[in-house]
Amino acid sequence: MLRQPLTRALALSSPTRVAPVVPAARRFAEQVSVQPEKVEVFIDDKPVYVLPGTTVLQAAAQVGVEIPRFCYHERLAVAGNCRMCLVEVEKSPKPVAACAMPVMKGMRVKTNSDLTRKAREGVMEFLLVNHPLDCPICDQGGECDLQDQSMAFGSDRSRFTDIHFSGKRAVEDKDVGPLIKTIMTRCIHCTRCIRFASEVAGVDDFGTTGRGTDMQVGTYVEKMFLSELSGNIIDLCPVGALTSKPYSFAARPWETRRIDSVDVLDPLGSNIVVATRTNEVLRILPRTNEEINEEWLSDKSRFACDGLKRQRLVTPMLKDSRGNLTPVEWEDAIVAAARALRDCPPDKILAVAGDLADAEALIALKDFVNRLGSENTYTEQYFPTGGSGTDLRSSYLLNTKIANVEDADFVLLIGTNVRFEAPLLNARIRKAFIHNETDVALIGPKVDLTYEYTYVGDSASLVKDLAAGTSSNEVLKRLESAKRPVVILGADQLKTEEGAALLAYTQELALRLQDNLQDKEWKVLNVLQRTASQVAALDIGYKQGVGEALAAGPRVVYLLGADGGVVTREALPKDTVVIYQGHHGDAGASIADVVLPGAAYTEKRATYVNAEGRAQQTLPAVTPPGLARDDWKIIRALSEVSGAGLPYDNLDEIRERLSQVSPALVAYGDVQANNYFAQARALAKSLQKPVSGKLDVQLKQLEDYFMTDAISRASPTMAKCVQAVLKQKTSPY
Amino acid sequence: MAGALVRVIQRTKTNLGIVAPLANGINNVPVRYQQTQAPPTKSKFGPLADSDRVFTNLYGRHDWRLKGALARGDWYMTKEILLKGTDWIVNELKTSGLRGRGGAGFPTGMKWSFMNKPSDGRPKYLVVNADEGEPGTCKDREIMRHDPHKLVEGCLIAGRAMGAQAAYIYIRGEFYNEASNLQVAIAEAYQAGLIGKNACGSGYDFDVYVHRGAGAYICGEETALIESIEGKQGKPRLKPPFPADVGLFGCPTTVNNVETIAVAPTICRRGGKWFASFGRPRNSGTKLFNISGHVNTPCTVEEEMSIPLKELIERHAGGVCGGWDNLLAIIPGGSSTPLIPKDVCETVLMDFDGLVAAQTSLGTAAIIVMDKSTDIVKAIARLIMFYKHESCGQCTPCREGVSWMNKIMYRFVDGNASPKEIDMLWEISKQIEGHTICALGDGAAWPVQGLIRHFRPELERRMQAWACVHGPSKAERLY
Amino acid sequence: MLQAISRVTTFSKNGLSRSLPILSLSNGRYASSDPTCKKEAPIIENDAVLALPEERRMQNALESTIVVPVKVDLSPITGVPEEHVKTRRVRIYQPPKNAMQSGTNNIHHWEMEFDNRQRWENPLMGWTSSGDPLSNLKIQFSSPDEAIEHCEKNGWIWYIDVPKTEKDLRPKSYGLNFSWNRRTRVSTK
Repeated sequence: MLRQPLTRALALSSPTRVAPVVPAARRFAEQVSVQPEKVEVFIDDKPVYVLPGTTVLQAAAQVGVEIPRFCYHERLAVAGNCRMCLVEVEKSPKPVAACAMPVMKGMRVKTNSDLTRKAREGVMEFLLVNHPLDCPICDQGGECDLQDQSMAFGSDRSRFTDIHFSGKRAVEDKDVGPLIKTIMTRCIHCTRCIRFASEVAGVDDFGTTGRGTDMQVGTYVEKMFLSELSGNIIDLCPVGALTSKPYSFAARPWETRRIDSVDVLDPLGSNIVVATRTNEVLRILPRTNEEINEEWLSDKSRFACDGLKRQRLVTPMLKDSRGNLTPVEWEDAIVAAARALRDCPPDKILAVAGDLADAEALIALKDFVNRLGSENTYTEQYFPTGGSGTDLRSSYLLNTKIANVEDADFVLLIGTNVRFEAPLLNARIRKAFIHNETDVALIGPKVDLTYEYTYVGDSASLVKDLAAGTSSNEVLKRLESAKRPVVILGADQLKTEEGAALLAYTQELALRLQDNLQDKEWKVLNVLQRTASQVAALDIGYKQGVGEALAAGPRVVYLLGADGGVVTREALPKDTVVIYQGHHGDAGASIADVVLPGAAYTEKRATYVNAEGRAQQTLPAVTPPGLARDDWKIIRALSEVSGAGLPYDNLDEIRERLSQVSPALVAYGDVQANNYFAQARALAKSLQKPVSGKLDVQLKQLEDYFMTDAISRASPTMAKCVQAVLKQKTSPY
Repeated sequence: MAGALVRVIQRTKTNLGIVAPLANGINNVPVRYQQTQAPPTKSKFGPLADSDRVFTNLYGRHDWRLKGALARGDWYMTKEILLKGTDWIVNELKTSGLRGRGGAGFPTGMKWSFMNKPSDGRPKYLVVNADEGEPGTCKDREIMRHDPHKLVEGCLIAGRAMGAQAAYIYIRGEFYNEASNLQVAIAEAYQAGLIGKNACGSGYDFDVYVHRGAGAYICGEETALIESIEGKQGKPRLKPPFPADVGLFGCPTTVNNVETIAVAPTICRRGGKWFASFGRPRNSGTKLFNISGHVNTPCTVEEEMSIPLKELIERHAGGVCGGWDNLLAIIPGGSSTPLIPKDVCETVLMDFDGLVAAQTSLGTAAIIVMDKSTDIVKAIARLIMFYKHESCGQCTPCREGVSWMNKIMYRFVDGNASPKEIDMLWEISKQIEGHTICALGDGAAWPVQGLIRHFRPELERRMQAWACVHGPSKAERLY
Repeated sequence: MLQAISRVTTFSKNGLSRSLPILSLSNGRYASSDPTCKKEAPIIENDAVLALPEERRMQNALESTIVVPVKVDLSPITGVPEEHVKTRRVRIYQPPKNAMQSGTNNIHHWEMEFDNRQRWENPLMGWTSSGDPLSNLKIQFSSPDEAIEHCEKNGWIWYIDVPKTEKDLRPKSYGLNFSWNRRTRVSTK
């Protein structure tokens, strides 16, 4: 229970899994509506009380009886077409589909009777009639629902005599893009992919064509599955019909070592499982976290992992006399870097942290630079420094929290394309849109968010009018009448000259709404950061506005994974020494004089704070390649050589230091509610200057989404995705 | 097909009174069948007197348009019927003992009464299933082309009985002329003020729409039909929720067969008691029978329910080709019902209970007669091929099972199979039956079951003959 | 479980900082702060260490005095090198559901594993080598308490990762697919 706050310890679920558990996130369910009375049903003679309308399958799950299923998925609509979940219900002449059948009072369900087992065996036999026996060459082998369930519920032998006559059905494979490999002969027509595409991804491209045995799942015309969540249909597919193209024929599930970790390629910090073998990341799968990613994962997070093997910095490098980076020993590089730092006047040192920097490295770098006498630690991203600036956490976080967005009844997006900036947050909004009738309005450039929204316009003054309450737009009325409104401001807007004013207006608007809410716990204001490092950097106290610092003419620039292109050679004086520490040879390394190879997020135990302010840690899945080392250790070593030794020698000590800065940085898995909204609002008043510009976002189209950071830029798969999307754009379909 | 796809609940006498799982809301309590009939006194059924015929222009000898229909008594006192109100109409239907004519035979009065729940703001709809696609069945088309006003008037009365806003008549795409006649009849009725705003001057607004299908048999299944009207693929929905709860466009809906709707006005005019006086108890009324196949004069005829099959064929169809002794088997209720061999045909009564007792079903009362020249295995195989072709592919047992059965059946035609496969086929058909979303799976399984039940020696003979010529079948390898 | 919670409560008072070493060596008998004070290895009552819980309870019952349960530290006698006791940290967690599979039969337990250490490709066969004897040590427990107890017995530093998989149950409804006024209405099949 390492530095674990009490709340989390209390949230430990009890081992029986039946006893009620306090949900860690507060659910904003309809508090007014009275819970209907529960009805008693009997599952295998075990009584269970469930809400009316619950399906038999759900009721059975409550008593720990798992009914086999193919088409049913708890996060998708009920289809009821695979018939695997047939169970016997007393007084019913036929078995009923448990996934769709609502319970009735006193219903007696028999999940293991002869009739039930016979029905399952029959369905299993039918499914296998046309399923190819290519398990030995199928990528799903070993983690295939059809395999599992045929072992558990199927017959022990085949009686498909027609294998000697007409054989099995064969279906032409489809091409749905560079991520998903289709072997449609294996399809069992569960329609999970279709339902995922239309419900969760919001891209209604999949469907069935033909009927009877000729029914095929596909896109009708050859078409790429243009979604940022497409990889999830690989997980959903219960057979090997949809498998991962980059991972095809790479490994068997039992050969891989799975390490639970956290994704850093978008600001949400989705929970992932990193599957490795022979010190190589083979694939990344989502890990269920109801408060963040549910069980989905965006394509970049899932497929950019092959970028971890390319363009890597594997050895320290120094620029030689001819201006070429040449490999050197760690000692030489550290000494060179230390000498540059020591010889530099403290005010001429500049440290810039990039998108993927972890909290440990961030604090180490900041402490180090401070010890050298400089205060110049910046992030590549920008956050307005006026008003309360970065002092109050509530100003730069998703205060509503990702999971609670589901319960919102009106969402106003300001200058953000959530779909590509945080795909899973967008999936949440879409979920709310579909299941809770949440309405959405957007101020900013018109983008495809996969759901309908009220388009307000793209002028910044609209925000001002809304904040002042003078807008004639109906959105204002909707916001004011909403019980649980959510306002999300995109971090892209903060970079602009009017960013501070926009933030101030957004704060004003959100807090005015918040003050009038009945639900005092509900938070309206949200700022959606773009990168995984920004929140931790702001927590730690990184300064904002690297542009001004660059203009001051630094002599030594220390780039901690800063590949965003903010620091360029042109902006620096000629003799500036650039030290780059990071894991990829990207924009930062190309301008560096000293290169210190660091570890990527799959290679270190590191803390990342997501856009909600939730600290999570990655776990090392593989060893850093070559001579690369953990980032904080590099800085620690460098500090020693520079004569400004940092006071921590191991991870526990550096985390203790983190907790001194902010306990939230080490409260892993949890997120605290934010306060001081009113103060932030008061301080922001002075920033409410007239605005006249237009809001713009960086990621507009799907092709913009795939390559946004050093890892995804190095990934061949992501490059293929961009190409495929561009090609699809030229297609008439 | 019409409602033949509506699943026939095989009931025994003991549980006849209880309708198994029904829609949630209203149907939480088991519903009792209407027990209206007097003790059975009749022992002879048929022939039907001309004065008792409901469909008086079945053969198109008279004018089918409004003028002719009025002359035949259609639209007579419709306003008064409407003004008597919902309860009266439903009660009259309940008294009549009318059971759905689409195949499942669900009591119509009760079905309509399901619609009279307190309104929750949603409109209600009547959907008329005119997607008559079941091989052998040709009763609804006769009504629609020769007596369309009966249907239109029926829609109005049925709509009134359930408080529906509109009726959608989903007509089979191939029925071009029928759709055209029906459309003309609807236009006439609109012009005459019989339907539309203030229909028949009763103050009740009612619209009738015709929706043409696109040729899929499965769209005759009620929920698939609803899906099809909604513009989606005609794939059946699971029940519950039943259409009376969540139906067309998510609103309460009742789906009835054309014949059921078309007899309703006459029942209301002549009284439920009159209608109940025909046929045996629980099987009352008159019925259109289609007799096709190896008979001398194939025809569609209206007859009293419970008429003996033999009498029906001899009297109306001119007898079996080559005489009664030349009969091999009869499919009594459209292609989805199990066949019955000659010895059963001798005595069986053509009604719901009589045919259930003979392990088959009344279905749509489309009698397919096969004489001894028939290759019975091939005939059934052809039917299975039809079902394989028409399976929607949504649920596993039907999609995979029926095509597998089809493969086996065609091998059985040649005899290229193992005798053990007969039992296997039986089991497969049992694995399909009752495990699918809709009744198409059942409808595909039953003909096979009928064949195996009654013609097993024929199957075995063919296999022997084949093995004599070609040696053991490859199918033997698995055994 | 309760033990764990109460322990955290006490240590949260001490501040987050020092919870770690104290936590795992919370047994007062062995956790002498200054090793130089000790003359010899602490004497371990073998009976107490090796007895089954029932036996111990029995013994305690026989002795007429109330004995406060004493934690046992096996680390001095397990033979595990000190490096692997003192510098390793154990993660106690519930295995996550494999996203590729629907089944959940293999995840209803708790596991412990050690921190992942360096591996390298062995040039001989191309297999992966590791210098970590504990790299494949995964132990399953039915509850986190058991796992914690086991870790403390062995003197390992542990922490718990609680999966956030609890969610409120929302009845699924097939009818919603056809709802007349909800966005759950489906258009595609």
